[in-house]
Amino acid sequence: VTTGSSVLEQLRAQRGALEARLSGVRAIVAVTSGKGGVGKTAVSANLAAALAADGAAVGALDADLNGQSLALALGVRGQRLRLDEGAVRPAAGVADIRVMSLDLLMGAEGAPLTWDHPGGLAADTYAWRGMLEASALRELAADTAWGELDVLVLDLPPGTDRFDAVARILPRLDAVVMVTVPSAMSLLVVRRAIHAVREAGCPIAGLVENMAGLRCGQCGALTPLWGSTEGTGAMAAELGVPLWGRVPFDPDLAEAGDSGRPLVLTHPQAEASRVFASIAADLRAFLAAGA
Amino acid sequence: MKFLCLACDRAMDLETTAASDGGAMSIVYACAGCGRRMAMVTNAGETQMVRSLGVQIGHEEFGGGPMGTLRGALVQGRPLAAAGREPTWTEAAERRLAAAPPFVQGMVRRLYNDWAREQGIDVITPQVMNAARDALGMTEM
Repeated sequence: VTTGSSVLEQLRAQRGALEARLSGVRAIVAVTSGKGGVGKTAVSANLAAALAADGAAVGALDADLNGQSLALALGVRGQRLRLDEGAVRPAAGVADIRVMSLDLLMGAEGAPLTWDHPGGLAADTYAWRGMLEASALRELAADTAWGELDVLVLDLPPGTDRFDAVARILPRLDAVVMVTVPSAMSLLVVRRAIHAVREAGCPIAGLVENMAGLRCGQCGALTPLWGSTEGTGAMAAELGVPLWGRVPFDPDLAEAGDSGRPLVLTHPQAEASRVFASIAADLRAFLAAGA
Repeated sequence: MKFLCLACDRAMDLETTAASDGGAMSIVYACAGCGRRMAMVTNAGETQMVRSLGVQIGHEEFGGGPMGTLRGALVQGRPLAAAGREPTWTEAAERRLAAAPPFVQGMVRRLYNDWAREQGIDVITPQVMNAARDALGMTEM
């Protein structure tokens, strides 16, 4: 006999289940920006791969439900997920990275993310879609058999509001890596995102400048893709965020992402790969200092 | 959500839950003391809001299992496969796998294992790898 639905108790139980699932994860790291199109997924994939190549047990969770691309970047698209003792076994990515993405649960190729709902509610989707997607993200994290991990890398969607939602769903975030490109437009948004992350009480570990310029194959000069080359460093210094690295634009980086083999694995000596390796080392040091 | 029987000063028991195709739901409560019964009826929007939290309403059964809310709500979802025994690999198959770049070996092994399980194959040989490669459209390995 029950006396009611006990929604609050169920929500607490969900939180407890998520905490239990992530108890074997030593560090949860969010890669975020606030701005779209700056290369969060490329940074997430290469950071995860650099950590894995260094011997760490790494998981990667695609938290961008409406723009899933981490499964492609880590080479697991098409893998069929399996139930395994009451949980879903993550896809096996390159360098044995354990990957979970909504992309692996989607049916028709190219179909947008659409949620089922009772008839007549289509116009009111805005009222419940956010809640449902928060529940979906919680389930992706809580119902995946991550096992023991040194690091779980989260590839977040753009938008500062999305970061806040993720931060409130997860029991903890041990480090946040911010990503920007050196454009004034990106820096404007990322500056706001840095404040939002701090207001959420999450530790910003470092800032990555992606697409920092195009290296000339002839003379070796770095040609800026946006006018200014000083904005990122100035903002980082002003806000007290360590600038961990400037990743040059590299066509091989895009090609590696599309092929599911991150650049740090296919071209470990490339300049961008060396920057990613340095960023991974900075992250390890940050996590070690906080442990 | 709880209801109190004022006459008996006790919580009513949740008796039945019934959902309609249109998304409305009725939840019937009864007082074990005096037998009084009452029903709460939610409209489709209210039901959807609560379900979006991934919680169960009364005795209703929806979703269920790992990622049940998510999988139950996806319009074009892909079913999960049941866990099965890992196929064994012959030495020749292992040698061929070892020729792949180390960082993709785990992923490739998983692809072959998954394909073999779906075909009901227990042992992976180079011939099985060829068949899987053709079926999956893999250009390497």
